[in-house]
Amino acid sequence: MKRLLVILMLLLPVVTIAQSELYKRYASREDLTVAQVNGFKLNETVRVNVVLVVADNEAAWNRLKEELDIRGEEGVNSWLGDLKQPVKRVKWNGKTLLRVIASHARRTIGFYRIDNEEQYDALLDYQLNKMKK
Amino acid sequence: MTENEFDKLWQQAEVESYSQRLAAEYPSWRRKQRRAIGMVTASLAVVALLVLVLVAQLQQPQDFEKVYCNRVGTTDAQWASLAAEILME
Repeated sequence: MKRLLVILMLLLPVVTIAQSELYKRYASREDLTVAQVNGFKLNETVRVNVVLVVADNEAAWNRLKEELDIRGEEGVNSWLGDLKQPVKRVKWNGKTLLRVIASHARRTIGFYRIDNEEQYDALLDYQLNKMKK
Repeated sequence: MTENEFDKLWQQAEVESYSQRLAAEYPSWRRKQRRAIGMVTASLAVVALLVLVLVAQLQQPQDFEKVYCNRVGTTDAQWASLAAEILME
């Protein structure tokens, strides 16, 4: 039994490492429901990691909007954000960044981690192809 | 004492000597045995855990690999679906 506990203790850091800093940042907040979807499939060869943050109430949503400098009350806000500070709007430069999409209706923000051009293109293609259907 | 009697006593002494050595070494042998059993059990547990993880991964739907969430109540598939829906809004 002790050995099993030791094994589980050893495996715990592996699980913790798999969770992104972004996930950990929001997961500890009581008014937010947070999920990290690893390996979200964009096409047959490309996958990305996604962090979804859902505000549990209007106050939490307004706080999130303020923190991320999101304006407007309807539709969707979308931008490329800095990996460590998603509030910072950046341009695609080939380095790791986040595609941030905020949905007012769902009070949800999706952070799609983009590590390379292949993922960047695949994400755009995914959006275009799904919208066409 | 005849030669025959001497042989018997000699054999008896040898047996007693072996018994004493065995009795003295038994605790150390028992410890080693327990350690070996423990290691085998731990190895089996690790293998079983790896098999479980592998099977769980194989059973996952193909559109995502793993989901972490800070709350219960929403399934992994529902989160993956939300990730897709947000992209289409």
